[in-house]
Amino acid sequence: MSFEEVSHTADVKIRARAPTLEGLFSDTCDALMQVMYGTSRKGTITKEITVKAADIESLLFEFLSEILFISEVEGIVFSKATVQIDGLHLHAVLEAEPFDRLRHAQGTEVKGISYSGLAIRHDANGYMLDILFDV
Amino acid sequence: MVQDVKRISTYEWEVPIGTVAGMRVPGRFFLSESLEKILEPGAVQQLANVATMPGIIKNSLAMPDIHWGYGFPIGGVAAFDLTEGVISPGGVGFDINCGVRLLTTPLAEKDIAGRRDLIDTLFSAVPTGVGAKSAQKVSAQALDGMMTKGARWAVDAGFGIPRDLVRCEENGGMREADTRAVSERAKQRGVPQGGTLGSGNHFLELQVVREIFDIPAARAFGLAKDQICCMIHCGSRGLGHQVCTDHLKILEAATKKYQISLPDRQLACAPISSPEGRAYFGAMAASANYAWANRQLITHTVRQVLEKIFSIDYHDMQLVYDVSHNVAKIEDHSVDGKKIRMCVHRKGATRSFGPHTPDIPAELSEIGQPVIIPGSMGTPSFVLRGTATAMERTFGSTCHGAGRVMSRTQAKKKISGREVAASLAKAGIIVRASSDAAIADEAPEVYKPSREVVQVVHEVGLSLLVARLDPLGVIKG
Repeated sequence: MSFEEVSHTADVKIRARAPTLEGLFSDTCDALMQVMYGTSRKGTITKEITVKAADIESLLFEFLSEILFISEVEGIVFSKATVQIDGLHLHAVLEAEPFDRLRHAQGTEVKGISYSGLAIRHDANGYMLDILFDV
Repeated sequence: MVQDVKRISTYEWEVPIGTVAGMRVPGRFFLSESLEKILEPGAVQQLANVATMPGIIKNSLAMPDIHWGYGFPIGGVAAFDLTEGVISPGGVGFDINCGVRLLTTPLAEKDIAGRRDLIDTLFSAVPTGVGAKSAQKVSAQALDGMMTKGARWAVDAGFGIPRDLVRCEENGGMREADTRAVSERAKQRGVPQGGTLGSGNHFLELQVVREIFDIPAARAFGLAKDQICCMIHCGSRGLGHQVCTDHLKILEAATKKYQISLPDRQLACAPISSPEGRAYFGAMAASANYAWANRQLITHTVRQVLEKIFSIDYHDMQLVYDVSHNVAKIEDHSVDGKKIRMCVHRKGATRSFGPHTPDIPAELSEIGQPVIIPGSMGTPSFVLRGTATAMERTFGSTCHGAGRVMSRTQAKKKISGREVAASLAKAGIIVRASSDAAIADEAPEVYKPSREVVQVVHEVGLSLLVARLDPLGVIKG
């Protein structure tokens, strides 16, 4: 797991680093789920999603917004995302389990994924980003 | 960034044009000297960013609870010309019509002091926290009613009394709501959450009126010393969040289409009169209406609980007022002596219409609109009244709350939820929350002192103090 919550007064700011773009997306999804539901998350069911966008930051926005939507309407909590990115198309296989009030009520609701300051950067060590979740 | 800021009077500061490239008007904000010490450069930058948006009128403004958000700063107010100006979800936020309402009761402090069972009953009756689902089953037809008619839908369905509507901003519903601009996904999220509180800084509190500053205004608002009131703070839930997400995407494309250059993608916007701008406005108004209906449903639950436990009459629990602090609205304001119709964005700011303005209840015409400023958990909340000064200087706006000073990461490291609950209990405040983490996250010390923020708007005259309410029982998501 290579993400950390960095200081932000009003919202949750996550800094993630990964050797690959796919890993970066997967870690950011993990961060989102941890903020909302805590660390006790298991995979008992599998889901697949596909999203596309006009640029790479929008692809991440679309992916995480989709995760938020499915989690809320289906009442499930994701534990792992295996992501494939082909250009500006994303396909993810997700492990999840039904929301369990006893284990998953320690977090806080994320209202939305912000574009504010969102930029995916790339250097010799891999990919990194800062992203803000509105809570 | 902060070094560019100039103090122009005791409580007023200016961010000059040029602080950020492309600023069309200067930024202005209101702050006391002690609050200035905790001013974040990020918030000033965001205030300056807003000043670059097309059609902005007079100033990009921020209230004394200014802090670093996304898009607009929290505490931000900006008005846009209807012909040349834009509308932006970044000036409203994900939680469309997050707002506060205050309900009076005929109860006194002695009736509820130490009644943990009462707080427990309210906690079970109002679905709260992450993953909470509605107790009232909302049908697709009911959802449409919530979005179209707002609080009026709830009152017509038996969840309130007609007078409640008079005591809501916009009478609890914006006429401009357009449910066609609300996606199926947003509706899907809205159905199971009608009547739920949510999490984060949302709360339901039983409070006591501890101090009256303005006796005639307090009397007109229905407030008396030692009276128990209930404050409800929540918004449009997943429906509003999804509307913001959906339209952010549409407006991102529109920003390019209309060749608008912006320093922050979260400020994505479109001309108010464009199809994209109109669609966002219609969907935002529908979400705002859902939020008013939602607060009305929660009010009904609270009235039922108190009616049953204390054998008091449902009708003896009157609404003081309901204010929205995340919204964009079409309003008329005077600029340099000329009346102009404009689109006012308030993001973490409260409408503060003064005496004799339209859109406030007729019986309060001499007093001004009730302004409700929630404190953070365990700290006082305030009722103020709207003023002519706000109409002149801030498009009829004032602050919305305390504003955070400590990040969530710091709060988690430094504060234990259990200790906070224990120390509040010692002070006579009972807290029920869905988790200890939720308590730590919202502990009193992570916020600016609400009293100081309110003092600034009172001194400047953006709204005037009427009453202080202290919490006795808190329910947190």
